[in-house]
Amino acid sequence: MNILQLENLKKNYGGAYVLKGINLTINEPQIIGYIGPNGAGKSTTIKILTGIIEEFEGEANVLGMDVRKEPLEIKRRIGYIPENAPLYEVLTPLEYLSFTGRLYGLEEETIKKRSWEMLRLFELGDKANARMNSFSKGMRQKVLLISGLMHNPEIIFLDEPLSGLDANAVILVKEILAKLKMAGKTLFYSSHLMDVVEKISDRIIIINKGEMIADGTFESLKSNADKGSLENIFTALTGDDEQHQTTAGAFIDVLKS
Amino acid sequence: MEKWLLKFVHLFDFVFRKQGIDITQLHTIVETKLIMDKRRVYLNWRMGAQSEHSNHLRIMLGLYVLISAIISIGIYTGPSFIFSMTLFHSYVIFMMAMILITDFSSVVLDTTDNQIILSKPVSGQTLFMARQVHIMLYLLLFAIAMSLIPMICIWIRFGLLTVMASVVTVLLSVIFAVFLTYYFYLLVLRFTSEKRVKDIITWFQIVITVFFAIGYQLLLRLMDLESVTAHFELRWYSFFLPPVWMAYTLEAVYLRVFTKVHFIMCLLAVGLPFLLYWYITRYLATNFSLKLSSLASEHSDPVKPVRRHSGVSWSQRLSGVFTKVPLTKAGFELTWKITGRDKSFKLHFYPSLAYIFVFVFIFVFNGGQDIRQSWNGLAETDKFLWFIYLPMFIVANGLLFISFSENFAASWAYHSAPVQKPGQVILGSWLGLFVKYFFPVYLVMLTVCLYKWGLSVADDFVFGLANDYMCYLILGCIGRQYMPFSRQPGNRQQAGRFMLALLQMLIVGVMVSLHILVIRRPILFYAILPAILITCWLLERYIVNIKWNKIAV
Repeated sequence: MNILQLENLKKNYGGAYVLKGINLTINEPQIIGYIGPNGAGKSTTIKILTGIIEEFEGEANVLGMDVRKEPLEIKRRIGYIPENAPLYEVLTPLEYLSFTGRLYGLEEETIKKRSWEMLRLFELGDKANARMNSFSKGMRQKVLLISGLMHNPEIIFLDEPLSGLDANAVILVKEILAKLKMAGKTLFYSSHLMDVVEKISDRIIIINKGEMIADGTFESLKSNADKGSLENIFTALTGDDEQHQTTAGAFIDVLKS
Repeated sequence: MEKWLLKFVHLFDFVFRKQGIDITQLHTIVETKLIMDKRRVYLNWRMGAQSEHSNHLRIMLGLYVLISAIISIGIYTGPSFIFSMTLFHSYVIFMMAMILITDFSSVVLDTTDNQIILSKPVSGQTLFMARQVHIMLYLLLFAIAMSLIPMICIWIRFGLLTVMASVVTVLLSVIFAVFLTYYFYLLVLRFTSEKRVKDIITWFQIVITVFFAIGYQLLLRLMDLESVTAHFELRWYSFFLPPVWMAYTLEAVYLRVFTKVHFIMCLLAVGLPFLLYWYITRYLATNFSLKLSSLASEHSDPVKPVRRHSGVSWSQRLSGVFTKVPLTKAGFELTWKITGRDKSFKLHFYPSLAYIFVFVFIFVFNGGQDIRQSWNGLAETDKFLWFIYLPMFIVANGLLFISFSENFAASWAYHSAPVQKPGQVILGSWLGLFVKYFFPVYLVMLTVCLYKWGLSVADDFVFGLANDYMCYLILGCIGRQYMPFSRQPGNRQQAGRFMLALLQMLIVGVMVSLHILVIRRPILFYAILPAILITCWLLERYIVNIKWNKIAV
């Protein structure tokens, strides 16, 4: 089954290409780690795949459907959890979830049951009727997670989903992601940090400046890491202590001057 | 009220269905938006949640009823049918357009909607229509408030049939105003690069606002108010004025006449709104949402390499001239920079700058009279006073806006830094506004007046500058003081605004009389000018020494 296919995907923003021809095929349910430094084009790729950006060059197919031709059907069957996305803060989580649930055309009963249960599991049960403008980053992220999962999508796109979550919630979300994979879902997980995804991903794709520079399991990437152009980017993503030590030292020196 | 509004929306389901719009989604979106409007909580980072302004809408509605009552006098006593109706519809269209451009511009161009809703299986068309319906509901409420009293007058004067027809024409006017505004936005969104679109729209809104102000002037000229017969002259440009179409359409109903002119006007009145509606929903709606959504996807421009000592900016140079203390300098430069970049500030303030010229035009040339005649006779009058004091009055209005910013939460920096005299920042900020916006306008005014009156007004402009500055400081002091850009927009306090405006007028009036006194007794110039300068100095001391606990949040 063809879950996801990108052919020579390009995106032009005001004359500059932020995606310079991405090719990618996913045929079986798996967790994909889509890794790259900030500004590499991760979010743009996801926005194209989720039908939010409609203008691009190349081909993009999700679940065998053309993103350009059947965006609504695709949106119905995927979930999208953006990073620190805006939500309607004056609403309560229950109201917000019932709002997004209705947009997916879910039954009132289903919405009520699922949102209540999921909020409770995320320890937001006592906040279910409180307005979200007083919520912390992590609490909002939880609501976004629920809103992206509630319609039981087949593919889930996550853009830095752990951002702002506390340590316990991070573990919980990681467990949820693993369980989702076992349930036969495909997860497309974008992050600028390697350590978040290295353990849960079946396949890691590294992009930099709009180009794919690596594709494989974490182990295979690691063993190839010392070869050629991959080296710098890989060390940057995994965090090279030596380099950071030097920078930190220089930082303190500025204060002394 | 929401329930009634939603029921009302259901009446139009058949129209939406025909256009392939998902009605359930549409109702969900509209309902949610109404809930959100009702409980817009004004969050202040220091105080926590503040009270909800659920009365805001009612106050606005009340205000429109009040204005419409004044307009109704014109409608009731107007010299002719066409006059009354043109007046009525001009009022409706003008107010609608103003509301759309000012209060609803943020709703129209809101991009959070797209980020939240477009990732869900909602078509661009459905979302566009939901936003339309949401805005339309409010405009409908406003339209009812605006036309209630006028309609009663029309009933009494012109009969029931005319009233019933005017309900239709008012609705058409509303639709017309909405889609015309949209059309402008879409056009801009279509033909410019995405990067600068928001800037351009801001400028566009400013231009439209001015356009409407001037259009109103034109309309007043059209009506020959002074002659007793006061017949309405049909000129070629009448065919471009929607209120005139509506008036003629109603006349056809009222007098049961149907000439060629009536026919054309009728066709324009009924046809054009629908044509615009059809074209927009058919061809442009999807684009609109998508264009907006691509606006929202933040994209950093290619960064230019920054050199550390790359030239000194204007604001830095001028802040060196006008300020000495670091805090004042900070306030000066912050205000200078943010006023030039903040979209909502520009939107609120720049139109009023343009109004300076509109107002000067109105006051100096006295409405109805022949422009050339009044221009030639100008030199014998004292009307240069308008040129001196109007700019100050308008710029002083900006004092209200510089306390607001979308990015208001960033004002924590004032509180975390060891700011001992917050008044210094405030004074700097006021100075920034004054230097940036008042000086250039004042220079233009000076040039015009020197050309018209000659060197004799030079000393008036010297005196006027000092007097303006003093007045500006006083106007700033009578309100409550806020740190610059520290308040959330929408939190504008409506209550007491009218009294404050009256007080401001009074103060400006006193200052202008002071100037007139000096013109009558030139010797007083040497006594009053030093007094003003000392007052300015004292006022500055006062502002600088404002304590933290006196600063409102």
